[in-house]
Amino acid sequence: MKLKEIDRTAMQAWSPAQQHPIYLATGTSAQQLDATFSTSASLEIFELDLSDPSLDMKSCATFSSSHRYHKLIWGPHSMNSGERVSGVLIAGGENGNVILYDPAKVIAGDAEVVIAQKDKHTGPVRALDVNMFQTNLVASGANESEIYIWDLNNFATPMTPGVKTQPLEDISCIAWNRQVQHILASASPSGRTTVWDLRKNEPIIKVSDHNNRMHCSGLAWHPDVATQMVLASEDDRLPVIQMWDLRFASSPLRVLENHTRGILAIAWSMADSELLLSCGKDAKILCSNPNTGEVLYELPTNTQWCFDIQWCPRNPAVLSAASFDGRISIYSIMGGSTDGLRQKQVDQLSSSFGNLDPFGTGQSLPPLQLPQQTAPQSIVLPLKKPPKWIRRPVGASFSFGGKLVTFENAKSQQQPGIEQQQQQRHHVYVSQVVTEEEFLARSNQLQEAVQSEGFVSYCQRKIDMAQADFEKNVWAFLKVNFEEDSRVKYLELLGYRKDDVRKKVNMPGSCAPAESDESALNEGDEGQATEEQSLGQVSVALLSNYVDGLITQTLLTGNFESAVDLCLHDNRMADAIILAIAGGQELLSRTQEKYFAKMQSKITRLITAVVTKNWKEIVQSCDLQNWREALAAVLTYARPDEFAALCDLLGNRLESEGDSLLQTQACLCYICAGNVEKLVACWTKARDGNSPLSLQDLIEKVVILRKAVQLTQAVDPNAVGALLAEKMSQYANLLASQGSIAAALTFLPTNTNQPNIMLLRDRLCRAQGEVPVGQEVLKAPYERQPVPKGQAGPVAGQMQGPQAPAQQYYQQGDNPPPPGFIMPGAVNPNMPPQQAPSPNYSMYSQGGARPTYPQTYQAAHQYPCGTGGPALYQPQQPIAVPASASYPNPAPNTTPPYLSSAPAHSMPSPLYPGQPQPSPTSLNPVSSFPVPPSGASFQHGRPGPPATSVAYALPTGPTGTLPATSDLPVPDNFLPPVPITSPIMNPLADPQSQMQQPLGPAPATGTPSFQPPHLPVGQPVLQGGYPAAPQPLGPCIMPPAASKPSTEGAPGAPIGNAIQHVQALPTEKITKKPIPEEHLILKTTFEALIQRCLLSASDPQTKRKLDDANKRLEFLYDKLREQTLSPTIISGLHNIVKSIETRNYQEGLNIHTHIVSTSNFSETSAFMPVLKVVLTQANKLGV
Amino acid sequence: MIHDAQMDYYGTRLATCSSDRSVKIFDVRNGGQILIADLRGHEGPVWQVAWAHPMYGNILASCSYDRKVIVWKEENGTWEKTYEYTGHDSSVNSVCWAPHDYGLILACGSSDGAISLLSYTGDGQWEVKKISNAHTIGCNAVSWAPAVVPGSLIEQPSGQKPNYIKRFASGGCDNLVKIWKEEDGQWKEEQKLEAHSDWVRDVAWAPSIGLPTSTIASCSQDGRVFIWTCDDASGNSWSPKLLHKFNDVVWHVSWSITANILAVSGGDNKVTATSDHYTRFAMFLEPDEN
Repeated sequence: MKLKEIDRTAMQAWSPAQQHPIYLATGTSAQQLDATFSTSASLEIFELDLSDPSLDMKSCATFSSSHRYHKLIWGPHSMNSGERVSGVLIAGGENGNVILYDPAKVIAGDAEVVIAQKDKHTGPVRALDVNMFQTNLVASGANESEIYIWDLNNFATPMTPGVKTQPLEDISCIAWNRQVQHILASASPSGRTTVWDLRKNEPIIKVSDHNNRMHCSGLAWHPDVATQMVLASEDDRLPVIQMWDLRFASSPLRVLENHTRGILAIAWSMADSELLLSCGKDAKILCSNPNTGEVLYELPTNTQWCFDIQWCPRNPAVLSAASFDGRISIYSIMGGSTDGLRQKQVDQLSSSFGNLDPFGTGQSLPPLQLPQQTAPQSIVLPLKKPPKWIRRPVGASFSFGGKLVTFENAKSQQQPGIEQQQQQRHHVYVSQVVTEEEFLARSNQLQEAVQSEGFVSYCQRKIDMAQADFEKNVWAFLKVNFEEDSRVKYLELLGYRKDDVRKKVNMPGSCAPAESDESALNEGDEGQATEEQSLGQVSVALLSNYVDGLITQTLLTGNFESAVDLCLHDNRMADAIILAIAGGQELLSRTQEKYFAKMQSKITRLITAVVTKNWKEIVQSCDLQNWREALAAVLTYARPDEFAALCDLLGNRLESEGDSLLQTQACLCYICAGNVEKLVACWTKARDGNSPLSLQDLIEKVVILRKAVQLTQAVDPNAVGALLAEKMSQYANLLASQGSIAAALTFLPTNTNQPNIMLLRDRLCRAQGEVPVGQEVLKAPYERQPVPKGQAGPVAGQMQGPQAPAQQYYQQGDNPPPPGFIMPGAVNPNMPPQQAPSPNYSMYSQGGARPTYPQTYQAAHQYPCGTGGPALYQPQQPIAVPASASYPNPAPNTTPPYLSSAPAHSMPSPLYPGQPQPSPTSLNPVSSFPVPPSGASFQHGRPGPPATSVAYALPTGPTGTLPATSDLPVPDNFLPPVPITSPIMNPLADPQSQMQQPLGPAPATGTPSFQPPHLPVGQPVLQGGYPAAPQPLGPCIMPPAASKPSTEGAPGAPIGNAIQHVQALPTEKITKKPIPEEHLILKTTFEALIQRCLLSASDPQTKRKLDDANKRLEFLYDKLREQTLSPTIISGLHNIVKSIETRNYQEGLNIHTHIVSTSNFSETSAFMPVLKVVLTQANKLGV
Repeated sequence: MIHDAQMDYYGTRLATCSSDRSVKIFDVRNGGQILIADLRGHEGPVWQVAWAHPMYGNILASCSYDRKVIVWKEENGTWEKTYEYTGHDSSVNSVCWAPHDYGLILACGSSDGAISLLSYTGDGQWEVKKISNAHTIGCNAVSWAPAVVPGSLIEQPSGQKPNYIKRFASGGCDNLVKIWKEEDGQWKEEQKLEAHSDWVRDVAWAPSIGLPTSTIASCSQDGRVFIWTCDDASGNSWSPKLLHKFNDVVWHVSWSITANILAVSGGDNKVTATSDHYTRFAMFLEPDEN
């Protein structure tokens, strides 16, 4: 394909390969057959600008020369990379002159562009060549067998390669060997060719064709093989190219007979030794493989002869040809369309007409027809064989999971002219690229900690290793979460040590003086108690020690109010308050008010807050520099139900403060509050979270805190918020990119419907090689499923090709959800219901078909975590049911409510599929893990009882593929949906001990025959891992009102199999201590009450609350089992039960208040707030 | 001679192509290597292969010196040619699937200087758009920009079609990297990035990692590897940074999924073990230069 043209009859020289941009120098040819017979001559330089689509070459300089040229070359001598134009132009003139030009000066327009000139030769200098190895050496040839070797550094006196050959004749060609620097060849029109060795200064070999018809017009050495060269003949009787090997110099190695008339010029590509250009008097330009003789390409040319042809050294696909019709054409040998050329012709024609509408007819001429007439074939095919320079020999591409695919084509030593491909080796390597070793190591530690439950030691290690104080502090706070009396420990971390304070207070003489902040803070609840105890002694003290008449009188008359007034007036505050206590609640509070109004000490506000329990006020208004005190106060006094909120509030204030130090401290507040999301936000704000290690820093804390939240707070860990989800998926991505695909899966949030996270999950699963059954069905047969043009992406799951989502959700089944992550069951409502992967799975994948239960779809899918394969998958299918069943609320938009049920998913998270199993099982390790503890609820989820049928209502199975519900085997030991508490609840008070023993379902909760069919061997491990997480009891407490007909979405036959299978598994590990019989009534009463409330409650909010409460009361039952509750609390609880029996909930609430106010916070915090919720609801609903 | 080797989306299957005109697919799960398919159909060396996103099924595109682009598809376990594009006049050097969000769109760069965009329109039909003379004497590489909705990382309201701006980068024998943008259904040259002094051998648009910065790596015959970044949403101001200058042609650049590592494949013709080769050239970039 023609790229450019220049209308000159000229010799041409490309700039050297090092030169950028590419220039072409032209010098007026001495052989000019120009019609003008002009004797002027010029040296011009053009730039090859391929970004300009036009055919014109950009002219850079024109220098009027006194010479015409027989030969022009551009040598790289003295090139400097910094210069825009460099090298040396060497010209052979008509009268024995060799002239050196400086191309830079030519382009600059300097008047003096000649570097040097010597007229040493006889006759025209037709042959010139630059030595490739020593670019200062130039060989020239002229008449009389003259050959000179010029040193450009010492141009004055040329050397000769040896004695002139005899007979004397013209030298038409000269060429340096491409491999051996001291070898030179010269040829003459007679056909005689001489090879010179410059070290010996003599000809070493003469090559001559025996028929003497070779008229040498071209000579070129093989670019790669030192002993081979080609000679071209100008003789029409022998228009051949001979390939010679000097080792067999008696006859040509090969003869190329592709031209029909004499050859005028040849050029051998330096970029590919299989490309030899030749042009001849047959007006052809051919590109042949001199090693085989095959013609690879014929350039489309006009009918003119070309007398010179050159490869562009820098751009291997470009060549130039000078023809006798006064034109230099630049071609690409890569083929392509000649549209550009046609366009130029059109343009020229158009400009000739000057106007496309010369006659003013209003119709322009159809210009495109013109070039079509002149260029009927516009498409030029490329070379028959691909040139070497486009054959990519190496490559390395990243793929998912940090894998790098590389390939090589290692060549053995090529044998010249012989088949080259045979000895190549082809290898593709797949390697794992690990760049973040520290990150991976730390991630592994974290996983080990989670796996082994070694949270405390993990935190301790972090504390020990931490460099910064703040980091130490954060870890200390996190660690406290896993210890008993966390609030007290928090206080200690804040610098308040209860024992110390107590000692101080008890020291003689130290109690009376004004209390320090510290003591005030820490005396806490026992301070109040002391006051009350001392009540009895008051009167005695009054009589014996104080004789102030007036006061005595008033007291004796029982007029407390007056007595208090008197005392206040006399500034006897202590007396006043003591008296006020005796005088009753009303008087006391009034007295308190007066006291606070009067007292202005700095701790007044604190005391005010202590007494009035208005901690919000303190938190909102305290000086943030005293955040530590405020936090301590909250830790000490705040009620459990407001504790987290207060910590949050304080954290918010700190975070919004300008002081960056305080901002970071907000993290501590969030840790106390167990607010993972805020912690993430705060942490991310405070530092750059983009590097892998800082991300690791964050994730470590988040994971540990989530664990802690599950352990210590009666609240379910919230759903993974957007920010955390983003961070976690970032983290998972990073792990995946380092090849830790399994680990990545465990950290990936499962509760999100963000398409990118779901896609990542699918990708991770597949990358693990876990191709689920039904893969074929999941394929995207886009032929069948037309892909709309310009379709949008998977926003809101609008993926084209329904199989993709199906795969994706389906995939989730193969994957353990990450630890501590919960799945809200969000799903893409647009999921196409068809394309069920297989009958076995269809019920899950079909879930999306029910618009009202979109979440359940995902939940179900996600549920069968860790399934290793189809065979194992089936048994676990039923387990998926509770996941959907636990979704207590059919309202599609209430995502948060589902969070509470989500732990069912997070619990079994088999972070470590490879870990040893506690007991042998027929299941493989992977599959054994995922079986969630929530299987207990599964029991209730059996299709039988209406209350639990919700579980099955959700997925709509395709009719015909699933057995009817009635086919379902229902085990004999099937339990009705009476409330059964989760087996894995841990009492808050003693998480450590709980962790050590596997907890089973409470026997008290059901019949002895209760066989948790869902408990595979893996469960003890799981329980240990997530002891305090609330269980998804959704199905158990689901009110019948919410139930759906169980016929819908029957789970299918696999369930039956599953049950049988799972039931065979050992279950003895999961027993819990029974609740002492005398206290069993507490459980039954509370549960019954909740059930009653559930039946009456109408709004989902309330139901959810109640569900939640039901679960959280497990803390109480555990304490009952452990018999760790103090007798006063127990008796108080029994009193509440009595009040419930009489439906006097108000009284129950009063008792409740009394218990809370008199008991140790840590003892009751886990369940008393819940109880209050239940009682309040019961009162409200009047059940 | 192998010219390309690409893993599928999941990293479980490997496609290779070779000068023996074949395209081969291997199952490489769990370290194995099982030949799944040996696809014949090209009549010249096959330069590149590209996997489509799996949501469209198992689809592989290949391009060859024979001027053809072939789209292969697995149907019931059998790989077959599903589409053949013969609209180029010279060697087709590069194929790249658009982000799956746009549908099934394949960009092809050819030595004839043109870039073709093949869009699947359903029912086995493909729509072809051609950018003529994209790179004089040849386009060597095409690489799509990740699908990012301009100006927002916020989720689009569900059901609403996101307003993607489609872009891709190309590199060619005119030493240029060009950025193309679709406007009103037409592809227009948006940017012309000049820094290389020789053929641009490969371009690779870095995967999006949620940052507003766009990044492109380009490598060239001149041995240079440039990292181009653009911080503004309009995509107008690209600035090059020379990553490294090698002594020989650099053939290929590839970003890791997390866009923090660039694998650079140089061809010094002395490659003995590619594994050593790439580790030598693997570059580690800080994700955020600022």
